[in-house]
Amino acid sequence: MKKTIYIFSSGELKRKGNTLYFETEENKKYIPVEDVGEIMIFGEVDFNKKFLEFISVKEIILHYFNYNGYYMGSFYPREHLNSGYMILKQAEHYTDEQKRIELARRFVTGAGKNIRQVLKYYNNRDCDLEDGLSKIEELCSSIPTMQDISPLMALEGNMREQYYKCFDNICKNPDFVFEERSRRPPRNYMNTLISFGNVLMYTIVLSEIYKTHLDPRIGYLHATNFRRFTLNLDVAEIFKPIIIDRLIFSLIRKKMITKKDFDKNTEGILLKDKGKQTFIQQLDEKLKTTIKHRDIGREVSYRRLIRLELYKLAKHLMGEKEYEPFVANW
Amino acid sequence: MFIILVYDVGVKRVNKVLKKCRTYLHWVQNSVLEGDISEANYVKLKAELSKIINTKEDSVVIYKFRSPKYNSREVLGVKKGGEENIL
Repeated sequence: MKKTIYIFSSGELKRKGNTLYFETEENKKYIPVEDVGEIMIFGEVDFNKKFLEFISVKEIILHYFNYNGYYMGSFYPREHLNSGYMILKQAEHYTDEQKRIELARRFVTGAGKNIRQVLKYYNNRDCDLEDGLSKIEELCSSIPTMQDISPLMALEGNMREQYYKCFDNICKNPDFVFEERSRRPPRNYMNTLISFGNVLMYTIVLSEIYKTHLDPRIGYLHATNFRRFTLNLDVAEIFKPIIIDRLIFSLIRKKMITKKDFDKNTEGILLKDKGKQTFIQQLDEKLKTTIKHRDIGREVSYRRLIRLELYKLAKHLMGEKEYEPFVANW
Repeated sequence: MFIILVYDVGVKRVNKVLKKCRTYLHWVQNSVLEGDISEANYVKLKAELSKIINTKEDSVVIYKFRSPKYNSREVLGVKKGGEENIL
């Protein structure tokens, strides 16, 4: 499985000796190009067109984030999997209200079931979450009756609200109380972690979409518009609870991230570089861990799981097999 | 698959071999590289290397592991290179 490279330091990235080369004032390093799937840039990095050409040929995506860790954009190499057929199918499922709501419902169902799974796990350990669980079960059961996108979105919002209310019980750390969801900028430590994690999740799913015939511009739950990629947002809904939220809980419960890792300024609260690095290191480990997949009967990594989800979606769009969202069972 | 590659080649070809290996593997120290590699890339790397080296004089040894899970790695002295994905 190809690796992700994260760059925090400032320096120059270039093509050298037919591979990638990163040079900073203190450090020089060759990065094996055949082993790189994507590059995420947080620092100040210089590069030239020759470099972009090279990673374009090697089909490596470059994601860049600003000083505050917000997603700014991607260098998305020329589409190398060009399937007009798939775009037509995707559009067809978007414009047909019935088909669109059907898919959107499945995304919400998947998200809901995974949320329930996460809560169940902590409920069985030492947190009292019965209340939140029953509310989420109730909301989940009314998904099939939704006939329109906007009430479905509202339901999804309610579900998250109930879910977030459980966070304090899980973390049991007064430094990381949830209060309410605030973003752009997040106004407390917990919200900062959630925002940072979600941003990473969206870009990871985007990178995986790039390796399939799907077009990230057409999403189903999130409305397709002129501004942004949306399919990755839909798919990320399913994986956010089981990857990002679980990671946040273990980071806080194991005290790997404490309030010292944050910076307060007028623009809300931000993670310091060291905090970001710990987060990313743990996320990278998590994405590499493998689980036994029931349907295909072998070990797959979390990252692979995301790609499999996209393949299932592609099959649904082509009318081969109905899409069933991935639900964790542990 | 995880591999460790060591080479001992004539001075003229050292640079060529090193350059080729660096596109697939992480440099560890002089003449030693290691890293995760896919089956396909492994075959490619071997084919490309055999074009560069002189089979009568040079030698390249590759140690293959199904996973690096069951071995440990210790470094005495300076750590010169190795795998890093957070820079």
